Amino acid sequence: MAQAKTKDLPAGVNLPFIYREYSADRLKQALHKMYLIRQFEEGAEESYMRGLIHGTMHLSIGQEASAMGICMPLTNDDQITSTHRGHGHCIAKGAEVSRMFAEFFGKTTGYCRGRGGSMHIADVTTGNLGANGIVGGGIPIAVGAALTAKRLKSDRVVVSFFGDGANNEGAFHEALNMASLWKLPVIFVCENNGYGMSTSMARSTAVPNVADRAAAYSMPGVIVDGNVLSEVAEASHEAVRRARAGEGPTLIESKTYRYRGHSKSDRNRYRTKEEIEDWMTNRDPIVRFESELMEFGIIDMTGIRTIREAVRKEIADGIEFAKASPSPEIRNLERYVYTETA
Amino acid sequence: MPVEVILPKVDMDMATGRISRWFVGEGAVVKKGDLLFEIETDKAAMEIDAPATGTIRNISGKEGIDIPVGEAVAWIYSEGEVSKPANEPAAKPAKAAAIAVEPAAAETVTAKPVAAAPSINAPSNGTRATPLARRLAAEAGLALDAIAGSGPRGRVMRKDVEAAIPAEAPATAKPAPIVSRSPASSQPRPAPQRAAGAAPLNFAWLRQGEGRPIVLIHGFGADLNSWRPMLAAGPVDAPLLALDLPGHGGSPRQTPIDLDAIAADVEATLAALDVGPALLVGHSFGGAVSATVAARGHADVRALALIAPAGLGPEINGAFLQGFVRAKSEASLMPWLRQLVADEQVLSKPFVNATLAQAADAELRTAQGEIADRFFADGTQTFDIRGLIAALRVPVRVIVGANDRIIPASQSLGLPGEVALHVFPATGHMPQVERREQVLKILLEMARA
Amino acid sequence: MDQAVRELSYAQAIQEAMAIALETDERVFLMGEDIGVYGGAFQVTGDLVERFGADRVIDTPISELGGAGVAVGAAVTGLRPIFEFQFSDFATLAMEQIVNQAAKMRYMLGGAVSVPVVMRFPAGSGTGAAAQHSQSLEAWLGHVPGLKVIQPATPHDVKGMLLAAVADPDPVMIFEHKLLYKTKGPVPEGYYTVPIGKAEIRREGRDLTIVATSIMVHKALEAARTLEAEGIDVEVVDLRTVRPMDKETVIESVKKTSRLLCVYEGVKTLGVGAEVSAMIAESEAFDFLDAPIVRLGGAETPVPYNPELEKATVPQVPDILAAARSLAAGSR
Repeated sequence: MAQAKTKDLPAGVNLPFIYREYSADRLKQALHKMYLIRQFEEGAEESYMRGLIHGTMHLSIGQEASAMGICMPLTNDDQITSTHRGHGHCIAKGAEVSRMFAEFFGKTTGYCRGRGGSMHIADVTTGNLGANGIVGGGIPIAVGAALTAKRLKSDRVVVSFFGDGANNEGAFHEALNMASLWKLPVIFVCENNGYGMSTSMARSTAVPNVADRAAAYSMPGVIVDGNVLSEVAEASHEAVRRARAGEGPTLIESKTYRYRGHSKSDRNRYRTKEEIEDWMTNRDPIVRFESELMEFGIIDMTGIRTIREAVRKEIADGIEFAKASPSPEIRNLERYVYTETA
Repeated sequence: MPVEVILPKVDMDMATGRISRWFVGEGAVVKKGDLLFEIETDKAAMEIDAPATGTIRNISGKEGIDIPVGEAVAWIYSEGEVSKPANEPAAKPAKAAAIAVEPAAAETVTAKPVAAAPSINAPSNGTRATPLARRLAAEAGLALDAIAGSGPRGRVMRKDVEAAIPAEAPATAKPAPIVSRSPASSQPRPAPQRAAGAAPLNFAWLRQGEGRPIVLIHGFGADLNSWRPMLAAGPVDAPLLALDLPGHGGSPRQTPIDLDAIAADVEATLAALDVGPALLVGHSFGGAVSATVAARGHADVRALALIAPAGLGPEINGAFLQGFVRAKSEASLMPWLRQLVADEQVLSKPFVNATLAQAADAELRTAQGEIADRFFADGTQTFDIRGLIAALRVPVRVIVGANDRIIPASQSLGLPGEVALHVFPATGHMPQVERREQVLKILLEMARA
Repeated sequence: MDQAVRELSYAQAIQEAMAIALETDERVFLMGEDIGVYGGAFQVTGDLVERFGADRVIDTPISELGGAGVAVGAAVTGLRPIFEFQFSDFATLAMEQIVNQAAKMRYMLGGAVSVPVVMRFPAGSGTGAAAQHSQSLEAWLGHVPGLKVIQPATPHDVKGMLLAAVADPDPVMIFEHKLLYKTKGPVPEGYYTVPIGKAEIRREGRDLTIVATSIMVHKALEAARTLEAEGIDVEVVDLRTVRPMDKETVIESVKKTSRLLCVYEGVKTLGVGAEVSAMIAESEAFDFLDAPIVRLGGAETPVPYNPELEKATVPQVPDILAAARSLAAGSR
């Protein structure tokens, strides 16, 4: 494991990437957002179990460093396409949790006015073109967005998040091929949490790493520990640099783990309690990041408590906002199918 | 604060759940993550872990019963915490919120199905007919099963209905079919059995209904079917009786001596049918007949409506009368029919066909020629109803078209002040056809008054 | 309009529309398989790559799903792609992007985005290309809210409707019958649009309404000329748009004639004519019907290779004549 490489080194020398790259404030903000993601997921889970949210949802608890690390070098103008497990990406890219909760509650104040729900959560204003209910559905769309960026010379990059399951979809291969062929400013981020629903990588994929696929499309394939924020952010930085420089796409494989089941109807029969326990106690991305921050003197326990408390309030307020928001009216059922022309 | 253990939602579309088995009992000490109970759904059993470490108290979730999602089923007290009675109030606000949100979601779902249009109770007499034929027959008040269909397997088509319109004119007291195209109209009351034996004139109850009956008397050369187009203009809730004048339609082919003779026949028919207090409506020559009936006082006429009435002045379009009576073909009839109306678009195919069918009846036209000679000799109206109207005590309304080419509208001027005059612009001699909605509305108002 | 009108083929009219779109709107670009130097499988794009360059007339790999997705992504982020499928049959490979993404994105995001993509589908039988290159799948896509689906039948309409599609903020699917590409007709010069969602009465008549789509419009008109000599006065309605359907024009026509014959090349069952028929049965025009509605659609088979079998798969003029005669005579 790559964690805490720098432990025994003097401070300031060969620190992990993010501690060289970012200010203390930015790092504290990153911790704040990772907490926000986790507590958002827990708040959503709680609301779901109480019957306040219907349908289903896919929680990304355990994958916070992956979402946050990839988004650190992105600007508001850069765009992402996301997945069914996309709450973390949405928050990392800058969305407000109150409007996300409102969407999950099916309210008009939600990002999708109650039409999308968890699986289609999006905040176009912060560059999130949308989560996607179809595995691999967002990958070609990201390539198209990158084509726009190149044509309009906007200096924008596009990140496409997807899971390990998507690497066996045709859309993945077609999209990577075209992106490489046309040297488009796009970054393919495979968040490999080990299982496509219940089917493990070993049982579904002929190569040991998704990143190995990159060779077939003549682009760099980078493997990072998805639970180490710095590693993820460093890989993202390099890929963004390449993309902006017109050198073409990168495939990043971020190896991580989801604590919860695939969706809310998962009984976790395909993995052991011990395996889950191991990831939760020994490799939690937030715990790791926190201890690094304390080790490097960037934050102390009081600072961490302040962040946790602020996040708790933000989540509670968000849920209240969602509860108090109005539901869509039935008469507006057919709105937004087509663009309303004045 | 004790930690609430709720019945969690573990599946899509799950509103309630059933605990199949508790693995711990009251007072058991549990560690966060320990197995507490198992939920049964229709798909699978799900194991629920302890959300906190502590002692299980107040287990309220019984095995085997349906428990709403989100409801507290037990509490976990940490060490040293004092146990409170069951039914912890802390669970309530969340539940209230659930109630506030869920209906909206449920509504969204129920809005989806597209409602099947309520079916109008179509006559299910087993007759095969096209929708168009059904509609035309209904408008003409014809019974479908009496019409021979020329289509495949006897299907009644438009042309069959059009051909049947004159033939179907009820020659006997057969009750007219009741057709209500408006689902809003009230159920017709059962038609009283009316004795027809003593009625000298042919008649038809065009509508059954509640309230004061409306009696309709057609004009020269027409018959009781000429009222049908007007009835298609809207729902009619009053009983509606139409008569054929002598020498017209299904009535005896005789030439009455004068208006009083015709009025006597009308009175006898109304008496035979036990009509009682009625609104009397007459068109053109029928208007003169109606006014005469009202003035004689033998029938209980409570109000009088005269549509383009004859008898208010000397002039009448003599050329029309002669041409109309002589015409035997569509080609010779159409120019005269056009004289009847301001806009010939209103001359529907069924109307033309019905008129033509009468023209083919030589005996009928002979009788009508004699009537024309008697009452409208040399293009002059030989009778005057102004005096009769002036003496009437009942409400009278006169309805005329400003562009009447048979009897000039100007003849309707100079009536007593209490007589209401409705003049429709751009309308000819047939306001009841050309302005059917408005005329029907006026008549129904009068009947209800 | 005082624009000069020339005779152009259907394919030339499409090319001219695309050239105008490329000239007048920087955001417009074309993508598809072999649309560059090859000029397109049906020579519709022709020499556009020479006139507008390879980055605006983009040859894609043989990747229908990925290509469609790229077009959707480009459309959402500000470009106006016109994506050519080599054959409409290949839409099956791209259904995910068309149906799940292009059609639903605006709705799923509560109106936050629009997807102004145009997709062109060379469709239909008659070229001997057999089962996988001859289908008429407009009803498939017509079933999807969020898409607009059009079937222009003339060179004039295809130019005007394609330009309307490029200007439209929502995804527009154009089904072009391959046998129409070489047919000629008057086409005005310059920019004009023909509205999406509006049917056209190609011929007025009293006795019978034929609602036809695409190439069937021409077959219906041919039949109508024969029937005229027999005293049967046929009204031919060119539906032009499958979704959103112009109900009003069809309803008014049927109210006038009391008889409806639907003629379409797609498989009869659950096809465009099925929708037209059901729509009429539910409408006020029902009470004007004086005969059962008749549909002439594609046979319930894949399109066969043998030319005689292939012809028998789709409605031909004699089929229309027979159906119209029996309908008009009341023997149906």
